[in-house]
Amino acid sequence: MSDNTNKSYVLKPGTLLDIQNLSMRFGGLTAVNNLSFDIKENEIFGLIGPNGAGKTTVFNCITQFYKDKDGIIIFNNKKNEIINLNDIHVEKIIKEGLVRTFQNVELIKDLSVIDNLLIGAHTLFKSDFIGHIFRSKRASEEETFYKAKALEILKFMKIDYLKDQYVAGQPYGILKKIGIARTLMSNPKLIILDEPAAGLNETETTELSKLMIQIKENYKCSILLVEHDMGFVMGVCDRICAINFGKFLALGTPDYIKRHPDVQEAYLGRDDE
Amino acid sequence: MSVFLQLLFRSLETGSVFALASLGIVLIYRTSKTTNFAQGSIGTLNAFVAATLLMKWGWSIWAVVPAAMVTAIITGFIIDTVFIRPANKVGNIGKQIITLGLIIVIIGIIPWLFGVEPIPLPQFIPYSPTTTITILGATIGYNSFFTIGMSLLLMGAVFLFIQFTDWGLAIRVTASNEITSRLMGVPTKSVTMISWATAATFGTLAAIIVAPQTQVDINMMGSIQVSAFFACVLGGFQTFYGPVIGAYIIAFSSNMAAYYLPPTWSVWSTVIVYVLILVFLFFKPVGIIGKKLVRKV
Amino acid sequence: MKKVLSYFNKITIYIKDSFRRMVSAVKTDAMYRRFVYLFVGLNVILLLSELDIMNYSTVSLYAYIIIFTIVALGLNILLGFSGLMSLGTAGFVGFGAYGVVYFETLGFPYEISSLITIVIATFIGLAVGLFSLKVEGVYLAISTLAVGEIFSQIFKRVTWFTNAYGGVHYKYPTLLGFIELDRNMTYIFLSFVMVVMMVVMYHLTKSKTGRALLAMSRSNSSAQAMGVSISKYRLFSFVVAILYATIGGILYASFYRYVQPLDWNLMLTLLILAMVVVGGMKSIFGTFLGVFIIYGIPKLYLEDLFSSVSGVAYLFSGILIIVVVMFYPYGMIHVTHDIKKLYNKYKIHKQNKLKAGDGDE
Repeated sequence: MSDNTNKSYVLKPGTLLDIQNLSMRFGGLTAVNNLSFDIKENEIFGLIGPNGAGKTTVFNCITQFYKDKDGIIIFNNKKNEIINLNDIHVEKIIKEGLVRTFQNVELIKDLSVIDNLLIGAHTLFKSDFIGHIFRSKRASEEETFYKAKALEILKFMKIDYLKDQYVAGQPYGILKKIGIARTLMSNPKLIILDEPAAGLNETETTELSKLMIQIKENYKCSILLVEHDMGFVMGVCDRICAINFGKFLALGTPDYIKRHPDVQEAYLGRDDE
Repeated sequence: MSVFLQLLFRSLETGSVFALASLGIVLIYRTSKTTNFAQGSIGTLNAFVAATLLMKWGWSIWAVVPAAMVTAIITGFIIDTVFIRPANKVGNIGKQIITLGLIIVIIGIIPWLFGVEPIPLPQFIPYSPTTTITILGATIGYNSFFTIGMSLLLMGAVFLFIQFTDWGLAIRVTASNEITSRLMGVPTKSVTMISWATAATFGTLAAIIVAPQTQVDINMMGSIQVSAFFACVLGGFQTFYGPVIGAYIIAFSSNMAAYYLPPTWSVWSTVIVYVLILVFLFFKPVGIIGKKLVRKV
Repeated sequence: MKKVLSYFNKITIYIKDSFRRMVSAVKTDAMYRRFVYLFVGLNVILLLSELDIMNYSTVSLYAYIIIFTIVALGLNILLGFSGLMSLGTAGFVGFGAYGVVYFETLGFPYEISSLITIVIATFIGLAVGLFSLKVEGVYLAISTLAVGEIFSQIFKRVTWFTNAYGGVHYKYPTLLGFIELDRNMTYIFLSFVMVVMMVVMYHLTKSKTGRALLAMSRSNSSAQAMGVSISKYRLFSFVVAILYATIGGILYASFYRYVQPLDWNLMLTLLILAMVVVGGMKSIFGTFLGVFIIYGIPKLYLEDLFSSVSGVAYLFSGILIIVVVMFYPYGMIHVTHDIKKLYNKYKIHKQNKLKAGDGDE
């Protein structure tokens, strides 16, 4: 990894994220095995695979929650620099324009909805704690500015009526929405969603599909998602990558993936059974 | 050599006291999920029972100790049923505050029941030329042998109980996951009750062993309780035997430091041991025996 | 000369601007009004004692409450917001008290000796914070207990710093070198500092910093994904907690003018912890209420009531703590909420009764 630090990287025009030969081992278990795929700008990309295929591991590798992995993850960041994400600390990833949600939401229950969104803008605030202590002009102006922005996003997601309510006690569908709204606060170029439709009912899932496309159009960003709900994935994604046991199976349009024999065998089950 | 042997026995004796106290702390920590700050106070309370029975009622030491054990068991039961179990929804820190409240209650009860004066408590086998043995030039009282042996026997019995009986299995599974155990039909209520009773008896025994060195008074267990906590972090909270090992290490090293360091340093022996523990924890944050648990995201 | 004047102008404009914003804030934000009420209320006690309506010693008692409110506020930031536990608080309070006395005996004025003490405390806070990056949970709590114990050993043994068991004597502070405070003025000074520390906490916690602390304590990984630096904010919260404790200690020495080594033990630490939990985590006024319940009620009422039998006052304050924690696990500050609810219920009940009465006619 260290020999990569000072290298300059290239990306094909129109590509946002390029994962090359990613491998991740936990002791004897190879969770991700020599995986490569790329995500284009302004696209919704699905990562699918049966349980234990290593999807979340891939997410944790991209967002640098796991160290000691092989391969490189090239990203075109906010300043249009081509960088290797492996050189970035997990806490700095969001600054590069890459933000994620979690399977189990991980919001702050004892804060209001709007304050939860403001955490998403943490890295955008310029004031420091001295400014906060004295509530300096800049600090209060920033606070007002990002509150307005948060409200705008909540309106866009049609949950602005909840802005001052606590997150605790909100239904699961709303929590998922707040999680997605929070990612939008950081002006991301790529949003990574870990099972956004899990636990949602059918109406909520349909609503979510529409929302995904709206986010892509309005915020001009790409979305990478892991999902079990095949209908949802096939309906919303531009391209899909299928993996099994951490290994690459196929990559292409939803139709291509649906018809791919390896995918059918691994994921959807064999026809003749 | 004789000095070393003398120190060794003294360390084993204080180590046993620390070990009894820390085993109680870890038992309660694992089954009731709280740091029991009242461990020392519970011991003190029942040591007062023993001392009062002995000094004012004239019982023999061999009768008052079992009597104090019985009151200790009752204390443990009462604390668990009245204070700890109803506070299930309170949260860990809240429970710690309840144990603090218990300390204050006990501080309030003791002068009310036993008077404000400290009460002396003799050794099991009083120290005299006829009750000592000389090994390699070191003079060691029978009482030391007795207390060390009794502590080790008791702790050994508890380990065997935890490892090989059904109730021990219940304690172990409750310690590893209370909610699942309850769902699986483990009588977790009885388990916590046994833990509190055991911890209370151990605390009491620790107090009775130390009492002859000073007297039975309200503050007698303060420093022992603190050492017991350090024994727990040094040995790790994840096993029941870790803290016991930690306790003997702490007792041994502070006795050695106090004796072998030059006088200007030896007054700092406890501080030196504390600093060493902190340094150790910095490099091994979960104690001698313990694995770091990783949370999945 | 012109440059100096223009700077001067800028500063006056800035001060005027800040003042204007402060005044408008007091008008619009109910919290600031409450801070003002609290300040006034605490000083009314002083007035009452001067008029002999209240005991002379009551002021001392409230001074104690003020001092330990500051200390508990710091612990509340650490525990309530950052979710980190410290059992070394008493040691840090003691350090503040001894520190200010020691540096003043070296010839520094009050402000400078306080400042030196605070700077040293900051470094201790950084050290503890660095330690906390490696050690978690109960291990961290007991490690801070070890730090507290090391302090208490130092207080007992380092004669040049603490005069060992003899303790050190001090005087009421002299501000800016010429404003000599007496007992009453020191009390006013104490209450002023407390309100300032409350405002600081209010500002800090209702900002990006406070949200980051909460994010960190509720979910480490989620906070990291949002760009919250765990190490930075852990260090920050320990430093803040220790600074609050140290400032409490400095004020303790300033008001009581005598510091002795046996006060700074685990018991005091636990009582401060109880103040936070009983009052209400994350709540500024709850902390004040907590200190009042843990320290004020026993001293003001219980000890008089049960002075005939020794120890019974303790018994009751212990039971008080246990009962409050059992029935208000989220803190006594929520009692206002419950009272409001009860009142509303009563009002609805009354209205229903009236309506029923109307029906009869």
